[in-house]
Amino acid sequence: MTSTFKPATDAQVLDAVKWAVADKQTLEIVGNASKRGFGRPVEADQRLDMSGLAEIVDYQPSELYITAKAGTPLAAIDAALAAQNQQLMFEPPDYGPLLGGAAGQGTVGGLIACNLAGSRRIKAGAARDHLLGFHAVSGRGEVFKSGGQVVKNVTGFDLSKLMTGSYGTLAVITEATLKVLPAADKVRTVLIHWPQNGVYDHGGVQAMTEALGSVNEVSGAAHLPAHVAARSAVDYVSGSGSAVTALRVEGPGPSVAYRVAALHDMLSKFGKIEELHSQNSKRLWKEISDVEYFADNQERALWRISVPPVEGARVALHILEGRPGEVFYDWGGGLVWLSVEPADKASQAQVRRCVGDVGGHATLVRGSAELRASVAVFEPLDAVLSGVTERIKDGFDPGRLLNPGRMYEGV
Amino acid sequence: MQANPVSLSDSFIEELRGVVEQRLSTSAAVCLQHGKDESWHESLPPGAVVFAHSTEEVSEIVKICARHKIPVIPYGTGTSLEGHVGAVYGGVCIDLSEMNEILNVNAADLDVTVQPGVRRKQLNEYLRDTGLFFPIDPGADASLGGMTATRASGTNAVRYGTMRENVLSMTVVMADGRIIKTSSRARKSAAGYDLTRLFVGSEGTLGVITEITLRLYGIPEAISAAVCPFPDLESAVDTVITTIQCGIPVARIELMDEVQMKALNAYSGFDYPEQNTLLFEFHGTEAGVKEQAELVGEIAADNGAGEFQWASKAEERSKLWQGRHDSYYAAMALRPGAKGMATDVCVPISRLAECILEVRKDVDAEKLLAPIVGHVGDGNFHVCFIMDPDDADEMRRVEGVNRRMVLRAIAMGGTCTGEHGVGIGKIEFLVAEHGEALSVMRAMKMALDPDNIMNPGKIINL
Ligand SMILES: Cc1cc2nc3c(=O)[nH]c(=O)nc-3n(C[C@H](O)[C@H](O)[C@H](O)COP(=O)(O)OP(=O)(O)OC[C@H]3O[C@@H](n4cnc5c(N)ncnc54)[C@H](O)[C@@H]3O)c2cc1C
Repeated sequence: MTSTFKPATDAQVLDAVKWAVADKQTLEIVGNASKRGFGRPVEADQRLDMSGLAEIVDYQPSELYITAKAGTPLAAIDAALAAQNQQLMFEPPDYGPLLGGAAGQGTVGGLIACNLAGSRRIKAGAARDHLLGFHAVSGRGEVFKSGGQVVKNVTGFDLSKLMTGSYGTLAVITEATLKVLPAADKVRTVLIHWPQNGVYDHGGVQAMTEALGSVNEVSGAAHLPAHVAARSAVDYVSGSGSAVTALRVEGPGPSVAYRVAALHDMLSKFGKIEELHSQNSKRLWKEISDVEYFADNQERALWRISVPPVEGARVALHILEGRPGEVFYDWGGGLVWLSVEPADKASQAQVRRCVGDVGGHATLVRGSAELRASVAVFEPLDAVLSGVTERIKDGFDPGRLLNPGRMYEGV
Repeated sequence: MQANPVSLSDSFIEELRGVVEQRLSTSAAVCLQHGKDESWHESLPPGAVVFAHSTEEVSEIVKICARHKIPVIPYGTGTSLEGHVGAVYGGVCIDLSEMNEILNVNAADLDVTVQPGVRRKQLNEYLRDTGLFFPIDPGADASLGGMTATRASGTNAVRYGTMRENVLSMTVVMADGRIIKTSSRARKSAAGYDLTRLFVGSEGTLGVITEITLRLYGIPEAISAAVCPFPDLESAVDTVITTIQCGIPVARIELMDEVQMKALNAYSGFDYPEQNTLLFEFHGTEAGVKEQAELVGEIAADNGAGEFQWASKAEERSKLWQGRHDSYYAAMALRPGAKGMATDVCVPISRLAECILEVRKDVDAEKLLAPIVGHVGDGNFHVCFIMDPDDADEMRRVEGVNRRMVLRAIAMGGTCTGEHGVGIGKIEFLVAEHGEALSVMRAMKMALDPDNIMNPGKIINL
């Protein structure tokens, strides 16, 4: 029988893992379980619920970092930072509704375990680039910490990077320190409205590439095909009935105005240009980062595809040929969100083939538990890389107790 | 230090020659040179040096060494500062400097793939016509393989990050000779554990890096640099703190104390005021650069700064930054015949003034010559002890000041090394800083290099 342990202190986490090691019990690690449907389904003997470790341990705005326990909801972090006009630069997304749950449930530990980042990733990097240090309990039942509060350190292997994106398979994170920065004074979004009717995915990617290659420090670049744009809560985006490319510029007032003007001149050859101010900009980029457009239609498989930006549109349109589905692009075209029917093995194989052909990789972000258990959720590794992966896993968690099978079968 | 170097048999050398033919040397001079970096650490020569020309050759060499359990020490340009390239147990040094081809510039995706022996200046000269550049600039003209292996940074890190943020993928020959590519062409990689960043900063202890894909940036539309003297260290550092806390995206913000300014003037032929000084550089659009310069100007004025001296011409700027990059040599020139020992602590920025002032006091009390320079925007600074390693009393004082500073930095939530790395020199401090994490690192090392042949004796003692 599976029971759930809900520790309230670091010491209790250590006890739980030590017990699991001694009794060879596998553990599923959850925060608020908001991303439980992401990754391969875990079949573990017991559950370790980290939501009881929820506290901001240390936050002084002038220090430019925040330290919190792993179970702290991101919503609490965001609120604390917003009160001081600061933010996490990597724009952590909220996939709650996307994965069929409620909004605002994600925790710090889950964010790091899944290495998530929103649209600002192209400029600011992902979660792993903002994790300054952490405390954890390894699968050997040993407490360790790595990093600290400084932005640079070169003291041996970069465990923060290894931990980020390991989906809880290496160690149980109990506390994390993240870098914070002042929020920008002004946010503006330059919109390109493409002509009505027709497919402008290639054009959108081209426009984004030009904008990102310019000196205008674009901090968000997304392209929404017409039927996706139509679902935006921002009138300027949904109202036109056309495909929309969105480019975000942030910073102090005068230079934002200058850069917006430069982008306007540069991009008007593609379509009609419009500009969003702060409120609408914030709304739009939250929709995009949280992939709100694909929260409905839960029965469709949802893919997050990473490709060289120049290939994005071609790959997506190829996959969607003759299948019901939808796509939009973030990160200048390098990130393709694709929802497709039917959610079966054959279609997943086709996605992998198309993406693999251009050296990209694909993650099945949403699919039934049966599907996720029967196909590769993450891009499969070749024999040598899987060997390395297993050796790293065994270095941290030789009993393979933590989140078994979450990333790869048997690991 | 080099207790029992392994001896390399003739038949083993012949096996290596089967791979690299004439590109192998066992001459004492070549081995001595390859066992030494740019610091005061003595040379620990390998038994042989091979000059590799391809990933496949490196793989073959490592396979032979693995079979005989002979240590392998990768070598870029030997500019590291903590005894990184010393052959603690002897063995074979693989010199990668002849693998110096720039393989592919991908302007649309802003990346470039290089061989590990390409040097940072060579890369930027090559890129000049493309309008792109690679920002990471340690003072030395180091190899990109070495910079990747040491997770190097430089004066631009405050805006562009370090090698950690700018290496996208690499090809690595593992300790058993197998070749892996850490991630695919898609830059926002998410497949599996983050091997790329595991190898960045691994100091040659996990494998040999034979190809690197790096992120590039567009050369900014406008650049301007300025030098600004301050009445004291505190007001200079306070200016830095406020600038960073306001989120002003300065590209460079460097501190040179009054001793270093004297060294700079003498070595590089400037006549700046010999006061505690900040060097700035701003990158962006015309409007952005003007705006940043004004904001920083106000902050500096509030802290009692003197005149900004601007360098807007490219030649003036490159002379200024070359002067900054030559700090180590300029400092050594203050006392001919002496050696330099560059420390490298990094602290949370709010503790920076306190940390620098205390070490300054300590240096003065111990009557040492030790200019201070710093990538202060990151909280990182170097005290460069100019010393005579044969003077036992002086060395004792140097070590005392250094140890107190490192422990103070760690107590402040900082680190003993912000960019130079661990090598041999900082192993003991790693214990103070990491405690239990060392056992995790050890497990990692054992998992990937069970026979401990990759640059043994560095980072951690097994
Ligand atoms: C004057 C001066 C100023 C400096 N300023 C800075 C600075 O501002 N910031 C900074 O970060 N550093 C600085 N350094 C230190 C040094 O330049 C860096 O550490 C640099 O990255 C070393 O590169 P290298 O090619 O010389 O490597 P090497 O010294 O040859 O090697 C360094 C380490 O990397 C390993 N290695 C080298 N190549 C490979 C490879 N291809 N695969 C695997 N492992 C490899 C070696 O085994 C060794 O452990 C400075 C040094 C000097 C002398």
